[in-house]
Amino acid sequence: MALTKVYDATTVFRHLNGVLNVYKPAGMKVGHVRSAVLSNICKGLNELKQRDPRRLPENRPLLGTGTAADSVLHNIATSTDLSDDVLSTGPRYMPEDIRCAAVASLGQHTSGVLLLGINKGLRQSSRIQKNRPVRVYHITGRMGTATENHLPDTHITARSNHKHVSAERISGLAASMQASHQRKMYELCGVDLQTQAAYELACKGLIRPADNSLPVIYGIKLIHFERPYFTLELHSINETQEYLAALVHDMALELRTVAHCSQLRCIRHSHFDVTDSLLRHGWHLPGIVKNLRQQREILREHPQMLEQERVELHA
Amino acid sequence: MFGSAIRNIIKSSQNAAKFEAICAQCRHIRANRSIQSEADTIKSIDVATKPNDKELEPAPEHSSAVALDFGSREAHVPSFNLAAYVNSSSTLQQLVSLGVDLHSIERRKGLGEFVLRLDFEKNIKPCLSFLADQGIAPDDFGKMVTKNPLLFKEDLDDLQTRVEYLKSKRFSDEARQRIFTQNPFWLMFSTKRVDRRLGYFQKEFRLSGHDLRLMATKEPNLITYNMEHLRKSVFTLREEMGFSARELQSLIVRKPRLMMIRPDDLVERFSYIHKDMGLPHSQIVQCAELLASREFRLRERHEFLKLLGRAQYDPQKDLYISPRTIVLGNNFYFVRNVAKSDLETFDLFLKTR
Repeated sequence: MALTKVYDATTVFRHLNGVLNVYKPAGMKVGHVRSAVLSNICKGLNELKQRDPRRLPENRPLLGTGTAADSVLHNIATSTDLSDDVLSTGPRYMPEDIRCAAVASLGQHTSGVLLLGINKGLRQSSRIQKNRPVRVYHITGRMGTATENHLPDTHITARSNHKHVSAERISGLAASMQASHQRKMYELCGVDLQTQAAYELACKGLIRPADNSLPVIYGIKLIHFERPYFTLELHSINETQEYLAALVHDMALELRTVAHCSQLRCIRHSHFDVTDSLLRHGWHLPGIVKNLRQQREILREHPQMLEQERVELHA
Repeated sequence: MFGSAIRNIIKSSQNAAKFEAICAQCRHIRANRSIQSEADTIKSIDVATKPNDKELEPAPEHSSAVALDFGSREAHVPSFNLAAYVNSSSTLQQLVSLGVDLHSIERRKGLGEFVLRLDFEKNIKPCLSFLADQGIAPDDFGKMVTKNPLLFKEDLDDLQTRVEYLKSKRFSDEARQRIFTQNPFWLMFSTKRVDRRLGYFQKEFRLSGHDLRLMATKEPNLITYNMEHLRKSVFTLREEMGFSARELQSLIVRKPRLMMIRPDDLVERFSYIHKDMGLPHSQIVQCAELLASREFRLRERHEFLKLLGRAQYDPQKDLYISPRTIVLGNNFYFVRNVAKSDLETFDLFLKTR
């Protein structure tokens, strides 16, 4: 099919379906991101070529004074329906006209990949959500100070020394935490660990939870260490920002120091990567349409994101 | 004889009944008056408005009969918006052809009904011709009426007085045109009120007449802004940020909009500029645009420059980058001309944050 340029708002709106991958900046709530994206879409659509106002029906009863100078009569003769004009009905596209929902929410301080289902893409987005794909985070902790909610914007509650913490000790702890979390994962399945059923389940590899009640962590790895900052890569399902922040805090306590979470960044959500995500200055209609197309390609390459039969973890 | 006598008696008794009723009303009015004279401050205003009220009260009914030039049956059909009446009302059609956004008018409370009662020839035309006499381009009428349709309620003499007031304060023709087009609410304010507000700014910052005019023309919305908010912002600028009187004076003449920004946001921006970017007060005054730019924008641009090692804001040293250029233009302009880098690098940088 030949590619053609589109100037028509209705055509664009009709094709505005799918999953959108935006880069959520830290310090901005998901609802805020959503409304910003939607209002930018509407702004773009309203700048495109609009449909003309309707025509009036032919045999319309004439109301008016009946004089020749009466503009009402004059307008009826031209038979455009002024009540359908953009000035009287308001803009053709408004944010409420577009259906939009986030696949999985991110906390206010978390930045990174945020998937938004738009219009008919809501079906896909809810299916992705039901499949509980893994999200990958890069979490930066800052040792030496603890804060009230383990995030950087609250009061400092404790300070401590962190000279004794080394990269080896952190990665050792990360490995042991990963092991205990994986053990917990099998326990959550509801099977006795000393049974044949549990053995067969374990043979399949890692398994995913059935509901979104409990967070499950599949891997923790230290990827960067530069005192007082350390960065963990973390694969998990059903996590929340508070849970991750508390995890960093608990890790630091194990290491005989205190820490808070200085940055949380979601770099991957299933196959949706941070490299494809749309930055804030790209949140305009052409960028959004292009991004929707890219994500459609990704969904086509990985159909198991929508139809998941197996219990074990893939991607 | 007898019959006429009875008639007379009946008449007089009827009259007496009327008189009684009138007397009761008079007494009532007198009692009210005495109450008013006690509250002597209110009295003068009440007396002034009373005749006006009497004139206004029958007016809407009359004008509605004229303005709603569709049948009376249709006038009773309720509607959610003004669009339903556009096809039958010549006034609304005229407004649409002027470019007035009826949709944004009807969203504000009470304005939809007000616009519906207007008559183009009687209410709107004189006002528009008055505005045209002030040198306002007809293209701007639509925008002005969209912002403030209540302009048509004002008396033309009042409007003339307000214009004369501005002339007497030596606002130039261009300045007045700009003020009226940018802020149609200005004309709604009585001369006393505008005078008080201009006086407030002049006293607060010790502005010269020229600077005050410059400020009011740059940001006409400032004069009609919420006074409580303005006082808070002035407090924030002076006490929390610690600008001296001279610095404050040049800051607000350069960027009057700063006073309309939420004080919390302003403090946040200032603390980032002053503490993290390390600019002294004198330099912030030089580039007032910095304070007018949103914090995340400043933050990502400054940190990108820091990453490249180009965040050098001291004019005495080499490789100086003017802080003003940081907030200038879009990201592409910034990356190419200020950071001398490329957009891919900037995108990658933003994705690590």
